[in-house]
Amino acid sequence: MTGIEYVRAADPSSAVALVSEEPDAAFLAGGTTELDLALKDRVVHPSRFVDIGRLPLRGVTRTGDHLRIAALTTMEELAADATVGARLPLVREALLAGASTQLRNMATIGGNLLQRTRCRYFRDPAVAACNKRTPGSGCAAVEGVARMHAILGAGPSCIALHASDPCVPLVALDAVVVLRDADGIRRVPLTAFYLTPGDRPDRETVLRHGELVTHVELPLLPAGTRSGYLKVRDRSSYEFALTSAAAAVRVDDGTVAFARLGLGGVGTVPWRAYEAERVLVGAPANERTYRAAAEAAIRDPFTVPGTEFKVELAKRTIVRILRTVTT
Amino acid sequence: MTATLTDRLLGRPLDRVDARRKVAGAAPYPSDFDLPGQVHAALVSSTVAAGRITRIDRSAAEGAPGVLAVLTHENAPPLAPPPPNDLGSTTRWTLQDDRIFHYGQHIGIVVAGTRAQAQEAARLVEVEYAAEDPVLDIGDPRAVVEANPYGLETGRGDVEIGLAAADATLDATYSIAAETNSPMGLFTTVADWQGGRLVVHDTTQYPTMVRASLAAMFEVPERDVRVLIPFLGGGFGAGLRLWSHTVLTTLAARVLDRPVKLVLTRPQMFSSTGHRATNRQRIRLGATGDGRLLAIDHDCLAANGVEDRLSSYIVASTPVQYACDNVATHDRIAHLNIPYTGFMRAPGGAELNFALESALDELADQIGVDPVELRLRNYAEVNPASGKPWSSKALRECLMVGADRFGWAGRDPAPGSMRDGDWLVGYGMAGVTFDFYADPCEVRLTVDRGGNATLRAAATDIGTGTYTIAAQLTAELLGLELDQVRVEIGDTDLPPAPQSGGSGLAGALGAAVKDAAGQLTERLARLDGGPGETFGAMLDRLGLDELSATGHSDLAGAAGSSELAVAGPFAARFAEVGVDEELGLVRLRRLVSVIDGGRLYNEKLARSQVIGGTVMGLGMALLEETVVDPNTGRVANGTFGDYLVPVNADVPDLDVVFVGGPDAFTPTGTKGLGEVGIVGVAAAIANAVHHATGRRIRDLPITLDTML
Repeated sequence: MTGIEYVRAADPSSAVALVSEEPDAAFLAGGTTELDLALKDRVVHPSRFVDIGRLPLRGVTRTGDHLRIAALTTMEELAADATVGARLPLVREALLAGASTQLRNMATIGGNLLQRTRCRYFRDPAVAACNKRTPGSGCAAVEGVARMHAILGAGPSCIALHASDPCVPLVALDAVVVLRDADGIRRVPLTAFYLTPGDRPDRETVLRHGELVTHVELPLLPAGTRSGYLKVRDRSSYEFALTSAAAAVRVDDGTVAFARLGLGGVGTVPWRAYEAERVLVGAPANERTYRAAAEAAIRDPFTVPGTEFKVELAKRTIVRILRTVTT
Repeated sequence: MTATLTDRLLGRPLDRVDARRKVAGAAPYPSDFDLPGQVHAALVSSTVAAGRITRIDRSAAEGAPGVLAVLTHENAPPLAPPPPNDLGSTTRWTLQDDRIFHYGQHIGIVVAGTRAQAQEAARLVEVEYAAEDPVLDIGDPRAVVEANPYGLETGRGDVEIGLAAADATLDATYSIAAETNSPMGLFTTVADWQGGRLVVHDTTQYPTMVRASLAAMFEVPERDVRVLIPFLGGGFGAGLRLWSHTVLTTLAARVLDRPVKLVLTRPQMFSSTGHRATNRQRIRLGATGDGRLLAIDHDCLAANGVEDRLSSYIVASTPVQYACDNVATHDRIAHLNIPYTGFMRAPGGAELNFALESALDELADQIGVDPVELRLRNYAEVNPASGKPWSSKALRECLMVGADRFGWAGRDPAPGSMRDGDWLVGYGMAGVTFDFYADPCEVRLTVDRGGNATLRAAATDIGTGTYTIAAQLTAELLGLELDQVRVEIGDTDLPPAPQSGGSGLAGALGAAVKDAAGQLTERLARLDGGPGETFGAMLDRLGLDELSATGHSDLAGAAGSSELAVAGPFAARFAEVGVDEELGLVRLRRLVSVIDGGRLYNEKLARSQVIGGTVMGLGMALLEETVVDPNTGRVANGTFGDYLVPVNADVPDLDVVFVGGPDAFTPTGTKGLGEVGIVGVAAAIANAVHHATGRRIRDLPITLDTML
C-alpha cells in the first residue's frame, strides 16, 4: 500500500513549512476524523501527516472582553474554562452537547472547525457520485438516503452537512480564526471562513494549503445578555444534531435589544441567521416575534425527501431556544 | 447423596466466574487469536445489488505488495453445497458463479501478509457488472412473494364469523424497520488446515452447526473439523447462521495451506451477518363490548434475501397469545436484493408482540376498557391452541405486580392528560407470551480425585453467563462449591450442545447437566463409604482417578409427547415516556418489567439479561433502522455513528422483578431468558406515546420526524 509519511512538527513555523512544501500533506491534530478518512474510509489521500498535537497551542487567555483560544485546546478544556462557563453559556452547552466525553478529551477546537462532513456517501469511496470528493461526479445523497443532511447553503450539487456543535455559537458570536502560514498571520471572521458548496463542494474553507489555524478569538457577550444552545436529536447523546440553535439575547423593557442566532444541523456551513437577528432586534420579546424570526431564518431551504422535516423542526428549535433564553 | 436443586447456590446472584478474565483482557475472543504462520484476508464486495459480474480482473491485486492469493468465482476451487440444518438455514456460498443478489455480497477474498496489504489489494480488484434494477422494497410489485413459506399458517374457528359477531373491530397495519444485530465483537474467522484436519476459530453461537457445514462443504469427516469459540463478543442471533466470510476464509486457508485470519469491518457487519427483516403486519381484531376477543386475524409480509429463506415466522405463536375461539394467521415473504436476513433477538416474537399488543391497546382505547384489564379478560388459562394445561404460567402475576409497582392506577386514561413542563407524559403497557426452543444436548461430567468436577460441552457463552450458570448448577447438584467446578465449552471436540439461541441453551444444558449429575450421584451412592465422604476421598478409597457420566437432554423432542403445553417465559412491561410535542422528542422515562422465567439459575445474570434486552427493545422502539439506499441497495448507515443504538443517556431506571416458580416441564424448572427481555418493550413504549399524545404510531422506529 502507498505509505503515508508521518512527521511530528517541532514548532508552528516548521509545521507550516512541512505541509506547505508537500502538495498532499495534511495537519494531524486530535485525529478524530482525519485518521478515519485517510486510513479506514480512504477518501482522502495525504502523502504526509504533520502531527501538530504537541505544539504549544493549548489554553485559553482572556484580554478584556475577548478570549483567545489556542487551536489545540480540547473541547473538554474549553468547556471547563471559568469565563466560558460564566460569560458564554451557549459555547459551553454546545461543546458539551458534541460527540462523547472520550472524544471531547481528544478533539481540539481547531480540529472541530475543520472536521469533514459525516455524509455517508462522501465517506464511502465505493459511492462514485460525490462532488465533494470528485467535482463533477454528481451527488448520490440528493437522490439517496438523506437525513443528517443540510437544507441551507445546499443545492443539487451537495447537501453535506457541517456537523459541528461548537461552531454554531462561534459563528453567532462573530468568532475570528487566526491563521498562520509562511507569509505571516491573518485573521478571518468565522462567518467568512467557510464556503458553501455552489458548484465546487470540494472547496470548504478559505484556508490556503499549509495554512495553520493557531487560535480562535471570541468576544464575550455584553452584560445582561442571556444565552443557550439547544440540540435536537433522536438519541440523547453521541448523535449529530438534526437541528440545533445557539442564541444570545438581551431584552430591555420587553424589547429585544441585542440578538445573535446560529443554527446547526441544517447548513452546509455553520449557519449565522442574520435575517432572524434583524427581525428580533427592536421587536417585542414574544412568541410572535420568535416565530417571525424563525420564518426569516429558514428561507428558501433546499430539501430532499429525507430532509423536509428539518424546515419546520429548525423553526421550532429557534422558537424554543429564544423562549428559553428570554424567560 | 442425590442430585437435587436447592437454593444453596442455585438462583444466587453470584458474580460471573469469568468476570476477572474479561475485565483483565484475559478472555480470548475470536479476533484475539493469532496463529504461527498466519496471513490476513480482506473481502471484495459487490457494489451493485443485482445482476452479473461481466469482468473481474485480479491482476492488479495479485501484483500488489504482500499478496499471496486472490480468489474470485473464476478461480476458486469448487465446494460441495452446504447442508440444511435445524434452523432451516442453508447459506449460499458466494464464489460459485457470477450472480449478484445484494450490495455488499462477497465476490472475492484477498490474502496477504498483513491486514493492511490485503485491504489495499482488495481495492485493486477490478469488477464490471451487468447490473439489473434491484428489488429493494417490501411493497415492490416486482418482488417474488412466497405464501406460507414455512407451513406455519394456522387457524381455529372462523375469524370472519368472529368479526361479524363483534361489537368492536379493529383493522390496523404495523411495520418494523430492518434492524442490525450490531454486537460489539467484529465477526472473525481464523482458519487453519493442519494436514487434513481443520481448526477454525469462528464467531458463532452455534459451533456444531459450523462444524457440520464446513465438513460437508469441504468434504471432510466432521471429526476432522474443530470449531473453537471460548468467548463470543455478542451476537444477538447474528451468530446462528454459517456466513459467507467463514467459508471464504476456510477456503483461502486450504488454498494457501497456512492459517488465514479475517476480521470483518463494521460496515461489512451490516451486509454480512444478517439482520432482523423489515415486515408489515396487518391485524384484525373483533371483540365484545366488554373486550372479550372473538377474532384475531394476523397477516405478515416480511423481507427475505433472494434465493434465501429465513427467519420470518412472525405469526407462529399468535394462536397461543390469548383465549380466542377464532384465530387465523397468514405468512408471506418477499424476496429482495437486500443483504441476507438472519435471526435477531426474539425473531418473530418481538415483532408479533409489537403489532398484537399495539392492536390490543387500540382496542382497549376504543371500547374504554383498561389495557391491563383487557389482557386479563382474555387470559389464556390453558394453551388455547392445544387445550393442554401450561407447564407454568404466571402472566397474571406479571400483570398485577407490574401494575402495582409501576403505579398504573394513577394513570388518567385520557390521552394527553398528563404533563411535566415541556413534556407530555404517557403510560403504556404490554403483555408478553413467549417461547423457547431447545435442541438436543449432551454433556460430559467428570469428578476427580482432587474432589473437583469438570463439565464439558460444545456450548457457547454468548456473553450472558453460560460459564457461570453451568458451574453454579453443577456445584449445586454435586454438593460442591463453585470454585470446585471447571466448565469447558466453546469447542466442538466436546460433546454436542445446541446453539446459544432461541432462549434454549440454559434449559437444554441444565437438563443434560442434571442427567449427568444424577447418574454420577447414583453411582457414587452405590459406592458410598459413609455419610460425609467427599468425592475425592471416595475415588481415593476406590483407587480411581476420576469418574464420568454423559448426560443428555432433548427438550424439543420431549415437548411433543408431553401432557403439558410447554410454556416459555411470560412478562408484563410498563413504560412511562415523555414526548416533547414541539420538537418531536420521545424519551423513555422509566420501565417496569415483571418476568416469569421459571426457575432462575442466577438472579444477577437473569436481571442483566432482562436489562440488556430492554435496552435493545428501546432501540427497536425509538432508534434502530438499517437504511438501504433506494437506488443502489447499499446499506446507507452501516457505522455506529449512523446506525443508532441506545447509549447510556437514553436508558432510565429499569425496574426488573421476577415472579413465578419452577416450570413443570423442564428438568431444572427454567424457561430461558435470553430473548424475552426485548419482547414487549416496543409495544409498551408505542402505547405510552399514544397515551401521552393521542397519536398512534404503528411504524417503528418512532423517530422525531414522525412526531412533528
